[in-house]
Amino acid sequence: MSASTHSPVLKHHFGDLGQQHASERLGMWMFLATEVLFFAGLFGAYACYRLWYASEFEFASAFMNLKIASINTVLLVTSSLTMTLAIRAAKLGNKSGLYTHLLLTFALGTGFMVLKGFEYAHDFHESYLPGEGTFVHSNMQTEAVARGLDTGKVRLFLCFYYIMTGIHGIHIVIGLGCILWLVQQAYANKIPPENYSTVEVVSLYWHLVDAIWLFLMPLLYLAGAHLKVGPH
Amino acid sequence: MTTAVTTAGPKIAPVPPEPPPAEPNYLNVSYSLWSWLTTVDHKRIGLLYLISISVFFVAGGVAAGVVRLNLLSPDGAFVNEDTYNRAFTGHGVLMLFFFLIPAVPGVLGNFLIPMMIGAKDLAFPKLNLASWYVFMVGAGFGVWALLAGGIDTGWTLYPPYSSRSSTSNVIPGVFGVFISGFSSIMTGLNIMVTVHKMRAPGMTWGRLPLFVWSLYATSLIQLLGTPVVAITTVLLMVERVAGIGIFDPMIGGDPVLFQHLFWFYSHPAVYIMILPGMGVISEVLTCFSRKNIFGYHAVAWSSMGIAVVGFLLWAHHMFVAGISFYSALLFSFLSMLVAVPSAIKVFNWTGTLYRGSITFQAPMLFGLGFVVLFVIGGLTGLFLATLGTDIHLHDTYFVVAHFHFVMVGGMVLGYMAGIHFWWPKMFGVMYSDWWSRVAAAIIIVGFFLTFVPQFVLGYHGMPRRYPNYPAEFQVYNVMSTAGASILGLGYLLPAFYLPLSLVFGKKAGANPWSATGLEWVSPSPPPLFNFDEANMPVVVCGPYEYALGVDQLGRGLPPGPGLGEANDPASKSEAPAAPGPMKKETEVVG
Amino acid sequence: MNSLPPLIPVVASTIGYHFEALFWYIMVVCTLGGLGVYAALLYFCVAYRRGTTTGSTPRILGSHRLELAWTIIPTIIFFSFFGWGAVVYTKAMHPPQDAMEIFVIGKQWMWKAQYPNGQRVIIGGNPRNMTEAERKSIGKLVLPVDRPVRITMISEDVIHDFGVPAFRMKMDVLPGRYTTTWYHPTKTGEFHIFCDQYCGTWHSLMVGKIAVVGQQEFDEWLGGLGSYQGSEQPVDGSKAFSGRQLFLKLQCIKCHSADPNAAAPVLEGLYGRRVPMKGGGAEYADAEYIKQSILKPRLKVAQGWEPIMPSYEGQVTPDDLDDLVAYIRSLKPGTTPNRTDRMSPPVGAPTVRSEKKE
Repeated sequence: MSASTHSPVLKHHFGDLGQQHASERLGMWMFLATEVLFFAGLFGAYACYRLWYASEFEFASAFMNLKIASINTVLLVTSSLTMTLAIRAAKLGNKSGLYTHLLLTFALGTGFMVLKGFEYAHDFHESYLPGEGTFVHSNMQTEAVARGLDTGKVRLFLCFYYIMTGIHGIHIVIGLGCILWLVQQAYANKIPPENYSTVEVVSLYWHLVDAIWLFLMPLLYLAGAHLKVGPH
Repeated sequence: MTTAVTTAGPKIAPVPPEPPPAEPNYLNVSYSLWSWLTTVDHKRIGLLYLISISVFFVAGGVAAGVVRLNLLSPDGAFVNEDTYNRAFTGHGVLMLFFFLIPAVPGVLGNFLIPMMIGAKDLAFPKLNLASWYVFMVGAGFGVWALLAGGIDTGWTLYPPYSSRSSTSNVIPGVFGVFISGFSSIMTGLNIMVTVHKMRAPGMTWGRLPLFVWSLYATSLIQLLGTPVVAITTVLLMVERVAGIGIFDPMIGGDPVLFQHLFWFYSHPAVYIMILPGMGVISEVLTCFSRKNIFGYHAVAWSSMGIAVVGFLLWAHHMFVAGISFYSALLFSFLSMLVAVPSAIKVFNWTGTLYRGSITFQAPMLFGLGFVVLFVIGGLTGLFLATLGTDIHLHDTYFVVAHFHFVMVGGMVLGYMAGIHFWWPKMFGVMYSDWWSRVAAAIIIVGFFLTFVPQFVLGYHGMPRRYPNYPAEFQVYNVMSTAGASILGLGYLLPAFYLPLSLVFGKKAGANPWSATGLEWVSPSPPPLFNFDEANMPVVVCGPYEYALGVDQLGRGLPPGPGLGEANDPASKSEAPAAPGPMKKETEVVG
Repeated sequence: MNSLPPLIPVVASTIGYHFEALFWYIMVVCTLGGLGVYAALLYFCVAYRRGTTTGSTPRILGSHRLELAWTIIPTIIFFSFFGWGAVVYTKAMHPPQDAMEIFVIGKQWMWKAQYPNGQRVIIGGNPRNMTEAERKSIGKLVLPVDRPVRITMISEDVIHDFGVPAFRMKMDVLPGRYTTTWYHPTKTGEFHIFCDQYCGTWHSLMVGKIAVVGQQEFDEWLGGLGSYQGSEQPVDGSKAFSGRQLFLKLQCIKCHSADPNAAAPVLEGLYGRRVPMKGGGAEYADAEYIKQSILKPRLKVAQGWEPIMPSYEGQVTPDDLDDLVAYIRSLKPGTTPNRTDRMSPPVGAPTVRSEKKE
């Protein structure tokens, strides 16, 4: 008790470290609830249009780059593992392990963003853009017309694609920033074993961002994977 | 039928001596502007909110003045249509997003929640400061939008008008709303975690003051509702910037979807605005009638009920917006359900007064005004929740009047009651008793005169947001504007006597109202960490033991409200509770 | 300044009477409930004020019985509002089958209406915002008394709302989607139309008048004899209307007119009929047949007519074909335009790109 009430990492307004950690964890869980609702707005909107315009959405989804998305899924899921190992290292006071796993997580997350960048570049190159002026030049337009699909609704899918992946990407970047901050904190000896919950709180956020990707993947990339169209 | 049950509790401790003034207290610990701008003290942050929202209240009030004055004449008395549209939008955006939503949670919640539950601060003090800065950044964008010429979309921001048609400053305005939403989330999260994890020993959930319960319910809505409007505003901004988006009917998008997402937040948001006011009223009515709250659990759970059910009825704003017939039936049904907890609260407040010993200082007058106006506000809501009547009353002045009865009659009066109740705690001084009572009376009368004619206008079909209207509506519009000028005068008074009290006000003791909450244990103004750190409070009983005459620490209460004056005959009749076993008959009514 | 208007504003539709009954039922119940609370508050405040009472009060924590009572009784009352309201709403949302249909288009900032016979009128709006032709066609929405009317509405730009206080009805007017409302006017007279959904700068000028008149007066007006101004250009957002525009533009009317000496058959009532073919056999005049006849007119020629029609292949898009079919399908006896009719000016009838998939 006295150890936990006189720790240098204990903040003044808390009674002991147990209370401090419980508060931090609860705070992060509540923030995650906020995040879930944030994306729920998007998912809800997507669900409406997916039901109304099923064939257009499946068609457009078939043009998305499934290969990059699959690799990205593997990267993110692996990064969740390394993040969890970082908590374990912090708890055991294994500082080099903490560095290694944090930096590995950072590398995997960065890899995700780099691949995402290539994917966007490819989409731009192929004119898979929702604006009417550019979209008419894409093979998507040609094929949609040939199949008698409404190109407006195909472009609606592209709106979702960019907004959803874009907002998710911003979350990844914020997560990467938090991981760098953790590295700095570890370097400044602010993460002794009894304060491992700092790492845990960041990991909760990272897992959520990962989990959201696991929903984006089927909605955006797998919806039309069965169709024989697109750049396969 | 009345039966009596005798209960015995822990011993009543003697009435504590007046605690010595805290040196330093949170106000005089430092004076530099920098120390205020970097403070992580929840009390100072509360005051930062107080100052900023007061500014926005004045700005929103000026816009309301433009609207009301212009409506004196059927063709617009002095501004053109475009200016009028920008004025009512400015009024709505400022009052809702930059005054009502942060008012009680930001000012009173920040200040009082840690003190009421016996904590040194909120769980995340830096997050708390950040929330104020985020709020100010958001408000900065809002002000930018207004100074650059205003927004003319109405606060509801419906596309495709807002996304395509409007030529006003929609982007900075919406971005301001988006940013300030995060401030709301931060405050809500902070309060929820604090209530969960920072309660003093003995402060069980069943002993929480009802203000804390209502703020807890509010925070739940802020936490779960605000992100939805955040993503909605992002989608709207994207659509406006890119010229294409998911609400765009040209590519098969549905503008009604925006309304669903918008009201998913904005309907619960009206409970963000009213629930804290209800919490204030529970504190004030008990204190000034010297009674336990009638039906503590009913009042506490009705707050939670409102918060939860409030999420399930957003589409009652859309009965004539082209939604499906069956969903209209469902949402009307659910809207009736949310009226029940509100009714329960009103009945319990009324029951609290029964056999009390009531005094009528300003907080009580505002509190009673709240109940009176909220009854009308709540009941007229039923006309709008009922499908058959909403098809006519929707989007008319009936809605405007209903909304103002709840928001101004409810929330603003609740806020005023709270400010007047806790002013001596915040600043350690007492304001003018007489002027504050006069202000309360003028505000309540002015309010009635302003908004009752608007019910008639709405019933006669005058649409909202109309600078031009048929001549037969002029009578009621003139009445309403006349009332509004009285209301405006009422609002001016506190702007004088409250600041003046800081200089000329009598010193207030630790517990001037003889109230039972933990916030009254500390000297006024409170010390830096709220309580004597060597002697943190331990709670032994529930929050409203006025009948027993003990505070939550089980100590006797000092003389009651207004009883300090020697010429008050009642002061002699109320003897402080005698030390001894806590014993009083608990009466059962009904 | 005007004198006070009547307490109950004029009621001029069947739904209006339903509304009033429900409104006053809720009003009476709520007033009684509210006054009850006020009476209790007032009594307590007077009887239990300090001075008549000491600071010592009884410890009353509540009452389960009372809590139950004031939970259950209001719930039942509120549900009675819901039930009655749902009945009225059901009536208000379901127009009768035999209702006459009028199209209304909302546009910043005017209302345009079209009658079944093509009679068109602009019902108010902001004159500063109109073309010369539009200003000339400002008139009233004339409705026959005692006859149900269905209003089918769409918007060209932003969301509007078509509200008629005297009928106690309103409905939003959306871009890209049809909404409907209906009235059964019970009184003759002139009533306000308001745009109830904020739609921009001149929202408050998007107002007009409804004139409810007797059946005979209505018929005269439709026949161009009435005093309520209007012009003769049909306008609506339907495919049939686009088809009509094409029908005139492509000069189909030159031959397919109602003129007895016309070079081609009149197309009224053609759709779905069995047409005897030149050289024997017969064909159902369905969409396929009509489209084929436009693209390859000489393949199947109706009995009694010469194969003189040119092919329109390359001149019409598949969308155009659909519009033409929709128009021909809508042609009822006596509704073929005059041979001399020209395509109406582009008043901006919106094209609903396609209906939502259900």
